[in-house]
Order: sequence, then structure tokens, then C-alpha cells
Amino acid sequence: MKVSWQLFTGLSFFYFILAIIYWLVDGEEVGITGMILSGCLAGMVGFYIWFTQKRIGEVLPEDSESAEISDGAGELGFYSPHSWWPLPVAASATALGLGLIIGWWLTLIALGALFISIIGMVTEYEKPALDQAPSH
Amino acid sequence: MTTYAERPTISAIPPLPPQKGKNFVKWVTSTDHKTIGYLYLMTSFAWFLIAGLLALILRVELARPGMQFVSNEQYNQVFTMHGTIMLLMFATPLFVGFANVIMPLQIGAADVAFPRLNMLSYWLYLFGGIMAFGGFLAPGGAASFGWTAYAPLANSTYSPGIGGDLWVMGLAISGLGTILGGVNFITTIFTMRAPGMTMFRMSIFSWNVLLTSILVLLAFPPLAAALLGLESDRLFGSHIFDPANGGAMLWQHLFWFFGHPEVYILALPFFGIATEILPVFSRKPIFGYKGLIAATIAISALSVAVWAHHMFASGQVLLPFFSFMTFLIGVPTGVKFFNWIGTMWRGHVTFETPMLWVMGFLVTFLFGGLTGIILASPPLDFAVSASYFVVAHFHYVLFGTVVFAMFAGFYFWWPKFTGRMLNERLGKIHFWTLFFGFHLTFLIQHWLGIKGFPRRYADYLPTDGFTFMNTVSTIGSFLLALSMIPFAINIWITRKSPLVETDDPWGYGSSLEWATSCPPPRHNFLSMPRIRSERPAFDLHHPHIKTEGH
Repeated sequence: MKVSWQLFTGLSFFYFILAIIYWLVDGEEVGITGMILSGCLAGMVGFYIWFTQKRIGEVLPEDSESAEISDGAGELGFYSPHSWWPLPVAASATALGLGLIIGWWLTLIALGALFISIIGMVTEYEKPALDQAPSH
Repeated sequence: MTTYAERPTISAIPPLPPQKGKNFVKWVTSTDHKTIGYLYLMTSFAWFLIAGLLALILRVELARPGMQFVSNEQYNQVFTMHGTIMLLMFATPLFVGFANVIMPLQIGAADVAFPRLNMLSYWLYLFGGIMAFGGFLAPGGAASFGWTAYAPLANSTYSPGIGGDLWVMGLAISGLGTILGGVNFITTIFTMRAPGMTMFRMSIFSWNVLLTSILVLLAFPPLAAALLGLESDRLFGSHIFDPANGGAMLWQHLFWFFGHPEVYILALPFFGIATEILPVFSRKPIFGYKGLIAATIAISALSVAVWAHHMFASGQVLLPFFSFMTFLIGVPTGVKFFNWIGTMWRGHVTFETPMLWVMGFLVTFLFGGLTGIILASPPLDFAVSASYFVVAHFHYVLFGTVVFAMFAGFYFWWPKFTGRMLNERLGKIHFWTLFFGFHLTFLIQHWLGIKGFPRRYADYLPTDGFTFMNTVSTIGSFLLALSMIPFAINIWITRKSPLVETDDPWGYGSSLEWATSCPPPRHNFLSMPRIRSERPAFDLHHPHIKTEGH
């Protein structure tokens, strides 16, 4: 993870330096704003990874030069085997955009559909506490 | 000695009997990064063919003086949609497609970090693309303000009609999909590498995917902001891009703050493909692995500071700053060339089809890079700005990287995708037809531009002296289009050819995707070799050759 946060914070510093140089040579506002925001974005990601590394506190197998494949054995995490939900989310997001052009009625319908489908996608694998039987 | 460690496998569920429509549902609801990657590759290739046909309309119209086939307005629509589709519906998603299929295999991951988000990105891209293209069916036709949509031309006064609105919203939606894809790739590379796959053992392609995704995160939000602002101007009458308060320049700055990193979003992953192929057919490790990574990082860092070289002719940007930065970003690109040539130097170079395409990429992109250096110099840029010289330049750069490297990648990874090799002879016919067709079309456009033919013009006079060169270019474009036929035949005749039955049909594959079967199983690896260098598959298949550890 060290390389990861170094990469992002390095880019962040570089973008800030570029913004300062651009400001010193009388650059316009849009570019200065853009570079500062780019620096903030990269800095935010870099900080988060650095912070996570501190919190984990140990070298992960993928960062270790001498790790064996078995070091990463165990639970890999949950993978959705297949899902219908991305389709309605994208379709209603598209309808939302289309509604702005062809009529507010479509926007309102799409907004509702988007809301429902996002809830559906997010809670697809959430099960009530009582029903703990693994379904996949 | 190489040892194996088995991944814990879940006992297999017996296969269900085949049902009608099962395959369709399987593809539509897929969360497998490979399936989604194939969807991306197929969809973007379909857009490539559509936008190619649009280009043929442009070339047919320009072949002779006078207006023969389309009206001025239709011509504007066609070149607008040609540019938009090629850049945002073909080349950008093509990167997402290759990254989806190959990158998780190369880092030894079972899937991407967010499989359902991955599918959501694909649907957003597909629907957004159809929406923008749907403008052709709208009253008044598709968007006709050029793919750059400069203010105030793109506002509702100068470009009325819902074709423009569909273009703006379609791009905003498909751009959202691209941003989500970028988040997905960064997370995957940071959190899902196999044990021992340190960052500096990752293949160059995966590194380039990482840095491209970072550029996506930097570039696409400004585009989304600009597009939504433009749509607010068009629909609600706001004055964000009103020239009276400097909106014309605001649009150009925002658009190119997206537009220049976008050029590298299109270039870097395809540099990555070339870098994967060169060592395999040179039988040598990559020359200067860390140098290549450093060059890619330098390009990503500098690419936010070169946008205004697209605006030299506006007379309102800092010429020295942007000219200097543009020359500077040429240096890491030159370093890459140095490394590619160094990889081939004194290697056992053989010219199988993928390698041939990489050669085509090197030649074509080098030429585009050289004219780029010319255009980076403001005095030279002023002379040829908005002429066919610029058109020739960016077709050399983009076609050189995207299309040549795409076919290189297709021929190289086809056995990994399908388990079957493509035909070598047809592949070579395909390459040479396309190579000559491309250079016949675009090389002459440099001179056309220097003689003064402006881009985006539908017509010219017989006395202008552009007729001969335009005719040559049109003939070339048809040769280019015909080169798709051997490729189609190739896919058709090899669809039932024997399976390769081996992990590494090319024999010298380096990165981890060559250490699993062709095609790979659902979660990619049944067993994984120990990773001790940046060439784990090579170490596995050629254990007697010691690769230096990094």
C-alpha cells in the first residue's frame, strides 16, 4: 500500500506545484481551479490509503516480496454470481436524462424508478437478521 | 523450483440442463469481469464500424468538388457524430473492455472489486451512446456543432433542436459510466493483487490501466460539469457559457481540461498493450521496466498542464507555459519509444500477426508524435491550425495507438478470450490492407492542410487545387474500410478451429494471464504460480531461465 499512497500524494503535490507555477505566470482562473481540485482529489485518495495502511499496521501479502500464494488463502470476499439490478439502475438514470429533454413527466417517473432500483441494488444481498442461511 | 499452492475451491455444483434464452440472461445479468469486458469490446467495435461508415460519407462527399450526397447541415452532423463516437463510444470504452478482461487476470484477482458496479458502467455507456446517436432520428437531426461543442455555437440559439440535447445528456450518462469504471479499476489494482504481486511486479499494461483510471477521475468530472452547464443553458436559459461574461473561453478551458487528459486516456492503455506484446515476440524481458512506469507516471502528472495547446489560436492563453509543457510531455513519450526499441534490440524478433500490428503502431504513432511536436510550437501551429494538417496529426496519433494496438491486442489475446487462434495469413492480409489504406488516406492530408484546406468544410472549388489530394484520400479510406473484411472472415473461419489446449499458446508469455487456461475459468485461476518477478508466467513455463528479481 506504500506505493499506492506515495503515487497519489506525489501526484497531488505535483498538481499543487503546477497550480502555483501557473498562478505565478498569470494563468487564468479556470486552470488554477482545475489544478487545485485535481491536487485535492489525488491528495484525498492518497490520505485515505495512507490512513488505511496505518490502521492495518502490517504488510499485506500482496505487498510482500516473498509472499506465498497460500498467504492469501481464506475468505476472498463475497462475489455476486449474477445480478439484474444494474440494468434498471442504468435504464432509469438514462430515462432521467431523457426526461429533461422530452418532458418533466418522464423525469418524475424515472426519479422514482431510480430511487427504487438503487435501493434494490444496494440491498440485494442484505438479508433480515433472522434469515442467516447462506443463499449462494 | 516452482511450487504450487492451491486456492481453496468450493465443491462444484452440477451443471443445469441447457434452457432457451439462458445465454441471453447470462450475458445480461453477468457480473463476471470477462463477460462484461467482452460486452465492452463488442459494443465498442460495433461503434467503430458505425463511425467508420460515417467517415466514409465524409470522404465520399469530399472526393470531388461540389455537393453530391449530403447537405451542409448533414455533413456537420456526420462529422460531429464521427468524432464523438470514435472518441467516447469507441476508444474510451475499448480501454475499459481490455482493462476488464485482462487486468484482473494479470494481477491474479478473481474479479474486479465491484462486479455489479462494473455492469452498471456498461449499461450507462450503452444507453448513453444510443441516446447521443439517437439524435439522427430526432427532428432536425443529430448534433452538428462538432465534437468539441464550442460555445456559443452549441447553445440553443445557434444549434436548436433536441439532437444537441440528446448529444449532451448521452455523453453525460456514458461519462458517468466511465468514471465508475475508473473507480473500479483503481480499487481492484490496489486491493486485489495476488500475494507476492507487489506494485513493482505488476505488468506494464496493469500499470497503465491504473494511471489511465486516475486520469479518468481527473478528466471526466470537468466534462460532466461542462456538459450539465451547457444543458442548463440550452434548457433553462442560464448564462454559464454566455460569451457576454466570458463563457466562450470558460467552455474551451473546461472542455480541454477534460480533452487533453482524454488523449492520454486513449493512448496509455494501448501503449500498455504494445508493451505486453513486444517482449513476447522478442523473447526478451522488457527493457527498462521501471523507466516505462516512471514515464507513464510523468505523462499522467504533466497531462493536466497541457490542455490550452488546443487553444493557441484563441490568442488568450499563455503560449510559453503551454508550449513548454507540451514539449516536456514529449520527453516521457520518447522514453517509451527508447524502451520499446531496447526491448527488441538483439532479441529473437519474429513477426507473428500481433507483432506486425505493434510495428504498425510504432511507425504510425511515431509519425503522429512528430507532427505533434510541430503543433506544440505556437508559430507553426498558427500556420496550420484548424486545417487538414491537424486532422492528419490526430488521426496518426489516435488511429496509430487505438486501432493498431486494438488489433494487436485482439490477435494476441484471442486465444485467451476464446481458446482458439486466429488465422495468421488472413491476419497479415488484414494488417497490410489496413496499413496501406490508412497511410494512403491520411499521409496526404498533411499536404492538403499545408495548402490551406480547412477542416470541417463540406466543399471546395475546383480551382482550389485540392481535388487530386482529396480523391487520393478517399480511395485510401475505402481500402481502409475493405480491410475489415479479412478480419470478419478470420473470425468466421476460426470459430470452430481446434482449441489451443495450453495456457500459453505463444510460448513466451510473461504476465499472469498466461498462467491460467484459455479461456480462463469463472474466477480466473484454479491454481496460481508463486510470484517472484514481473514475469510470473514466464518463470512458471521456463523454470530453467532465471529472471532477475526486482
